[in-house]
Amino acid sequence: MDIAWFLKSLEASGIAARIRDSLYLFPLIESTHVLGLALVFGTIAIIDLRLLGIASTERSFRRMASDILKWTWAAFALTALTGALMFITNAGVYYHNFFFRTKMLLLAVAGINMLFFELTAGRTIHRWDQAPSAPRTGKAVAVLSLALWIGIIFMGRIIGFTTTRAATATPPPTSVDFDDFLNPTQQSK
Amino acid sequence: MKQFAEWLSTTSPSVFIQNHNSWIIPAIQSIHIVGIAMVIGSVFMIDLRVLGWAGMDQTLRQTINRFGPWLTGALCLLLATGILMVIGEPARELVTFSFWLKMFLVAVGTAIAAIFQATLRKHDKQWEDGLARSRTVKGLAIVTFLVWVCIIVLGRLIAYDHVWGSWSPATKA
Repeated sequence: MDIAWFLKSLEASGIAARIRDSLYLFPLIESTHVLGLALVFGTIAIIDLRLLGIASTERSFRRMASDILKWTWAAFALTALTGALMFITNAGVYYHNFFFRTKMLLLAVAGINMLFFELTAGRTIHRWDQAPSAPRTGKAVAVLSLALWIGIIFMGRIIGFTTTRAATATPPPTSVDFDDFLNPTQQSK
Repeated sequence: MKQFAEWLSTTSPSVFIQNHNSWIIPAIQSIHIVGIAMVIGSVFMIDLRVLGWAGMDQTLRQTINRFGPWLTGALCLLLATGILMVIGEPARELVTFSFWLKMFLVAVGTAIAAIFQATLRKHDKQWEDGLARSRTVKGLAIVTFLVWVCIIVLGRLIAYDHVWGSWSPATKA
């Protein structure tokens, strides 16, 4: 399938047009995206810190994982959905953006990292479940996970600075003159 | 406030950030988001424990001891990065409705967290024995979580203050 055609048809879809034409939808979707990713990273960090033996060291790892990870996945679903909705409004631009691509790459690596954990330290949980920290591979996975997610957050944020938003709606009536006075060269998002 | 924002934008730290904004602003915002994740993660775990939906192998006291310090630390990080963002882009932050409503809710959220932790530490017996099972307290846990959700949404809406229409001071240029 031709990718350019595919991106064009995403942009031409009714939902994408609906979001572009609304003054409110994109900001609300983006806010929900931030809320979702904050919950994703916040809950993952709790697990990673447990693996590293930095916090919650007296709790059973398995118990914590079953308590927390379902919320992580729910929040991830919300973040992915809102991310996809933002993507289709301007698919061609995001697809070719360097930081968007890096972000997707880091997400994939984070997924592989998780899979690696399941196949290594995850298989021997019964041996270290009550121990204050995970074995060395588990700790390495945790460090990598924290670094990857912070990288993903930074890539996500910088996408907004390196792309122009598609907008067919009338430009927002902000104090453009005042902004220009302060920052003649940029309009940050 | 506009005069203050104009003055602030001429100070040297502000000028420095403006001149390096292509990476400084997104970097500060990213650290701010990491702090937000720590706050919402901590609030979420405490609230789930109060609701009885997670962490039931821990007492309330243990839950507070685990997440309270991280909440406080993250709030300090947010204050520091938040101040840097205001210095870097005074008008964008200060001349918005979203920013001031957010600041009000941050005060409310912080006050709730401080009062909750203080009373729990003082009367943890009553809390563990039944107070946490009362419907009022469970309702408050949900309200607290929603306060922080609104804070996150409002933080992002600072960039889109036009959604407030005539409530936004930015529209009355």
